[in-house]
Amino acid sequence: MWAKCTGDSVLVILEPKLQKDSFSKFFSGLEEKGYELTFRSPKDVKPAVIEYDEAKFSHVILFAPESKSFAQDVTPQSLVTLLSKHTNLLIALSPRQTPFTSLAAEFSLTLPPPGTPLISHFPTRNEPATVIPVSVAPSDILSPGLSPVWFSGVPFAYQNNPLLVPILNAPAESFASDSESDLGADALVDATDKGGEGLWAGSQLGLVAGFQALGGARATWVGGVELFSDEFFQKDLPGGGKPGNEQFASDVAAWTFQESLALRIDRVEHHRVNETVPGQTYTTNDQVVFTAYISRFNPVKSTWEPYSGIEDLQLEFTMLDPHIRTALPPVRGAPGKYSVTFRAPDRHGVFKFIIDYKRKGLTHLHSSTVVPLVPPRHDGYPRFLSAAWPYYVGAISTSVGFLLFSALWLAGDDRASAKKSTKTE
Amino acid sequence: MLLWYILTLFILPFSLAAPKDSNAIHDELVKLAKANNGVIKLDERTYDLLTSPKRTWSAAVQLTAMDAKRRCAPCKEFDPSFKEVGRSWSTVPAEERNSHFFATLDFDNGMTVFQKSAPIVHVYPAAEGPRKPANGRTAPSTYDFSFGFEAGPLAEQLSHHTPIPIPYQAPFNWSRWGVLKNKWTWAVGTVLTSLVMTSGYMFTRIRGAPWSGGNGQWIAPGYQNQFGQETQVVAMIYGLLASAFLMLTVVTPYTTSPSRQKAQVYLWSVVIFIMYSVLLSLFRVKNKGYPFKLLL
Amino acid sequence: MATTTAYQVPANLSPTAIANTSSLLRIVALALISAAAIASRLFAVINFESIIHEFDPWFNYRATKVLASEGFYAFWNWFDPTAWYPLGRVVGGTIYPGLMATSGVIFYALKAINLPVDIRNICVLLAPGFSALTAWATYMFTKEMKDESAGLLAAAFIGIVPGYISRSVAGSYDNEAIAIFLLMFTFYAWIKALKTGSAFFGTVAALFYFYMVAAWGGYAFITNMIPLHALALILMGRYSGRLYVGYSSWYAVGTLASMQVPFVGFQPVRTSEHMAALGVFGLLQIIAFAELVRSHVSSKQFRALLFASVIGLGLLGTAGIVGMTYKGWIAPWTGRFYSLWDTGYAKKYIPIIASVSEHQPTAWPSFFMDLQFLIFLFPAGVIMCFRQLRDEHVFVIIYAIVASYFAGVMVRLMLTLTPVVCVAAAIAFSTLLDTYLNPEQPEEETPSAAVPSTAAPSETSSAKKGKKAAPAPATLAELVSNATGPESTKRKTGIFGLDTRLLVILNALGMLVFFVWHCTWVTSSAYSSPSVVLASANPDGSQHIIDDFREAYYWLRQNTPEDAVVMSWWDYGYQIAGMADRPTLVDNNTWNNTHIATVGKAMSSTEEVAYPILRKHDVDYVLIIFGGLIGYSGDDINKFLWMVRIAQGVWPDEIQEPNYFTRTGEYKIDDQASQTMKDSLMYKMSYYRFAELFGGQQAVDRVRGQQVPKTGPTLDYLDEAFTSENWIVRIFQVKKEDLLGRDLKSANSFDQGKKKKRSKPSSRRRAIL
Repeated sequence: MWAKCTGDSVLVILEPKLQKDSFSKFFSGLEEKGYELTFRSPKDVKPAVIEYDEAKFSHVILFAPESKSFAQDVTPQSLVTLLSKHTNLLIALSPRQTPFTSLAAEFSLTLPPPGTPLISHFPTRNEPATVIPVSVAPSDILSPGLSPVWFSGVPFAYQNNPLLVPILNAPAESFASDSESDLGADALVDATDKGGEGLWAGSQLGLVAGFQALGGARATWVGGVELFSDEFFQKDLPGGGKPGNEQFASDVAAWTFQESLALRIDRVEHHRVNETVPGQTYTTNDQVVFTAYISRFNPVKSTWEPYSGIEDLQLEFTMLDPHIRTALPPVRGAPGKYSVTFRAPDRHGVFKFIIDYKRKGLTHLHSSTVVPLVPPRHDGYPRFLSAAWPYYVGAISTSVGFLLFSALWLAGDDRASAKKSTKTE
Repeated sequence: MLLWYILTLFILPFSLAAPKDSNAIHDELVKLAKANNGVIKLDERTYDLLTSPKRTWSAAVQLTAMDAKRRCAPCKEFDPSFKEVGRSWSTVPAEERNSHFFATLDFDNGMTVFQKSAPIVHVYPAAEGPRKPANGRTAPSTYDFSFGFEAGPLAEQLSHHTPIPIPYQAPFNWSRWGVLKNKWTWAVGTVLTSLVMTSGYMFTRIRGAPWSGGNGQWIAPGYQNQFGQETQVVAMIYGLLASAFLMLTVVTPYTTSPSRQKAQVYLWSVVIFIMYSVLLSLFRVKNKGYPFKLLL
Repeated sequence: MATTTAYQVPANLSPTAIANTSSLLRIVALALISAAAIASRLFAVINFESIIHEFDPWFNYRATKVLASEGFYAFWNWFDPTAWYPLGRVVGGTIYPGLMATSGVIFYALKAINLPVDIRNICVLLAPGFSALTAWATYMFTKEMKDESAGLLAAAFIGIVPGYISRSVAGSYDNEAIAIFLLMFTFYAWIKALKTGSAFFGTVAALFYFYMVAAWGGYAFITNMIPLHALALILMGRYSGRLYVGYSSWYAVGTLASMQVPFVGFQPVRTSEHMAALGVFGLLQIIAFAELVRSHVSSKQFRALLFASVIGLGLLGTAGIVGMTYKGWIAPWTGRFYSLWDTGYAKKYIPIIASVSEHQPTAWPSFFMDLQFLIFLFPAGVIMCFRQLRDEHVFVIIYAIVASYFAGVMVRLMLTLTPVVCVAAAIAFSTLLDTYLNPEQPEEETPSAAVPSTAAPSETSSAKKGKKAAPAPATLAELVSNATGPESTKRKTGIFGLDTRLLVILNALGMLVFFVWHCTWVTSSAYSSPSVVLASANPDGSQHIIDDFREAYYWLRQNTPEDAVVMSWWDYGYQIAGMADRPTLVDNNTWNNTHIATVGKAMSSTEEVAYPILRKHDVDYVLIIFGGLIGYSGDDINKFLWMVRIAQGVWPDEIQEPNYFTRTGEYKIDDQASQTMKDSLMYKMSYYRFAELFGGQQAVDRVRGQQVPKTGPTLDYLDEAFTSENWIVRIFQVKKEDLLGRDLKSANSFDQGKKKKRSKPSSRRRAIL
């Protein structure tokens, strides 16, 4: 049994229409990886998703694409709350309109009108036009060299949101339509009249999309639940050969449940050059060393391992605006260690060391360390400057002059007054 | 100036010793006048020379008592005016200038000449020669002080007796300088400034407060607010109270009559008491919560 | 001619006995005055508690704690990262450390003699303690002007006068608390130096001047008063060796010493405020040189030449200073000082300065409130100074003019006027008492002799008036009689009778008693509120304490992470730092206009505009003061226009003041309020959920006296985190970015269950045919 990166309790909300057995391969695959699956139907009250304001499961699989009514604790709002509580979501959709159709829009996914599944007449095959083999574009999330996967369901359009991670896109020749026969499809007719405008078609449509929420949790939207079914796992491709569904489903689940591409910053350190103790404050123009230790989750060993594979990591030294932005390269020979030495700016203030590394598919890395940058101490300035010689000479000559004057004055006092007194007499 | 004065004193005996006819005296006088900024300093003898019955010139003579122990305040006040007029006469062309003289005689230098009071200005017309008055009256006339102690009216009146009008111009800068040198000018300025400032003048100026409110209201409502008219009223009250105190401390003790002094003391005490009450009642209007009051 | 006395005085006392008794009495009187000065300042502690007051004292207190716990060098180099976040504040170099150093020294001294006193109590009681010293310094100063009795009166006046108490009650731990003592003592030392021509007293003046420079920015007042006095004496032809020695020793030592204060640094030789002192110093050297030459050379021409060269050098020096100012080597007048002359300047160019309530001009009731009967004795005292017009009297006269002008321009500068008013009033009052307590009666004159001599003064006065009256020249007899000398007339001045004396003395005593009543009342009712804790009266007359500020600050302290940044208007920066111990964006040390304007912009913009500003500055909480519920008028809505003005000064394109008024130009918060006003963050935060409080009834803002719209504003980017008991302090938490990357407004509407409008894919998404 493997301990997982963020926990291994999984709640599967499975609508009654879908038999648990028809997804047995997918679920048993998860169980083999060590996840504890709990099943409930959408209308069940127990087990609750959130209890006492605390998420009860580490991951939630929502396989209820056609259910219209849910128990009170499963709402679009509660799912977003789950995400904020670091629970990962795997949500399946269908051409039917459900409460979660509107939730997709919050994730910057736009669904076509209800009842318009994805249709493709290519390649020629025995299956209906809604059951489509989709070839898989290579991606960090998926295993390399995957065979095309069977897909049946609804496509969606991506809005402009950097947090979206497209995993599987629709084939170029596919489109969304409300009827299998092209002639009777109103959507098609309308679109043809307008010269193709408004037609949901082409490879820009997504079928499976990941979403890296800012809190670190991940959500994956799948256009059709059949992708995970035993049937699709086994159905031969039109050109012969096994489909990639099983591996694809496993990869998607692994990414969603933060097994793959999960990074974290273990710790950051900063100190002056030639020192080891981290400074409470730094003085302007100090040479500062900043070090970050980054690990990556290894799903096989189920451990965090130092990771030196990031080449484009950057460090910012910021007060309102970045005063310094520099590369934070990995240190050779020290796995997982990234380090840079730089000169602090000549400007006092409260600065922050900021690592802000956001790449599609990867966990966002963010670290912010506040450190005051202070002006030199009163005795920390350079002394005995050549430019100050006029002042030194002035001070010394005045002192010497005063001394001489006092000496002469005191020494000459008697005689002078004596002279004076004799004169006046 | 002192130097020249001493010099003339040196010269004087010599010139007086010489036998004189009218012309010689005239030359002497011209010299003296020139030496003294146009005003001859007389003693009893030069006084006689100047006013000799054979004179062909006219003269304006000031009789005064400048010594401090004579305590003649009007003399001191008038003297600069006379000197100023004499100085301006010395700027006219020599021909006219030498036919009229300005002179001054101090009480201590010529007690016998004095008749009854000082200061006084006698104008002696020419007794002989071309400038003898048409009516033949050669007796001196006296300047009427009701025209004023200032140089301006003096010059104007004396111009009736001179060959040409005295080209006197009011010396603005110098007279002002005199005022500036007087400490009481400054005292009044200082006190007025502080009175105006402490009664909120700057507030009305900076805030552009109106002189008074509409419908005859002249006290602005509110503690941190005021109208222009309030400044004046308050400054006046302060001024009155301050001057009442000053009267009590400075003026009253100098009153030598017990009854008059008593009256003054009572008067000013009552003024202080009443004005203070008025001030307090005014303050109570501004600050509603103020618990104290006197009369009102 | 034996003088009569109005009442019996013991005659057979030896002069030494009198001297000893009077000096003992003086000491007792001074001690009592000190006790009264301290006691009357303790109202605040008795009515409330031993607590630091107002705003600035909280910073001073915090700085003192740093000084006491970490030592002087750490304090000197103290960089405060929690102030002006994220700019930070170099505290050591931007404060006048005199106050903290004084408390620190007292703290360590008490500790050294095993008297552990809480540093807070030292801070609270420092101002009353120093007020006793101020009374003493004023006594010394006035003694130089007149005599000991005037000094005692002046000490008593300044001990209890509200104009000074307002700045020095217990807990008012501010620079002014010690500065007035230093001011008076420096002036005393200067007068002493001038009178005796002693370099020692000049140096004493310089040392206290240094202390003053270290303690208060108002030291510039001394820096300009003393040169002004010296210049006036020179112009009056009263140059003397005493003046030269006194001024030179003061200036040379004082300037060098003042340059040791880090915050002052090279200002004494580089800014216009200090140029007067430098210029007079130069002028004195020239004159001294000229006098030296004059005493050795007698040729008249040479003197004329010398005179010309003195004037020429003076002009050259002035031109040099002007030229250097023009070239930028000497900094021109700073805005704060400049606004004293050009009173419209601050409002136009530095709204931050104009926005402070204590920088407002003074209306006359404030003068009367703060000085009561001293205010009309003051001119009388000035006239008394003119009567004698010794060198030191010139100082009082100049001080009187300058300070009364300044006090008129700024309420705050009433503080500098107060000492001179006390001194002048004491001179006038003690002259009055001298006159009427003197038992000697003048000799009563026979009427015949009296008439002419009384006529004489009236004559001269009418003669002065000139034209109208025809002054009669003095008679010959008078000229002769007057010449007998003044001695005989001098004995004639004085007061007759006992009733006159009694009347005036009783009147005067009544005024004094009234003054004491007034001072006590003003101090207890107006000047002893800590302003951190408010008091109101219950219906039954008992005191009700409103403690919202501390409630809120302690909430912040207990419930937020230590590095949570709090944004508020700058008035509350020091209090938040002092009581809540949280970083603030801006505080009462208004050194960075742009940063304050940033806060002003955030407060006066819409949520959408404000949010990026808040996030950029890492703001976690926004704190506002709202008085609408209980009628606390010093709240943020009333200060709001200043925020708008200050923001407008930096972003004139984005913030415009007229937008915040109704169409008719009124400043309103009810239904008629302009849309910009209603959308502003400040308005939204102030009235958020306010109408709900009234349960369906019409909500009324008790400060503005206006009805609040029934549907209150909504907040999308902030959450209400805390509202104090009387709603005076409201704290809002800034939301983090939405975790789905939406803008918070739509996230908020999603959370409330509103359906998102269905968006169609854009037409760009054409089918690939």
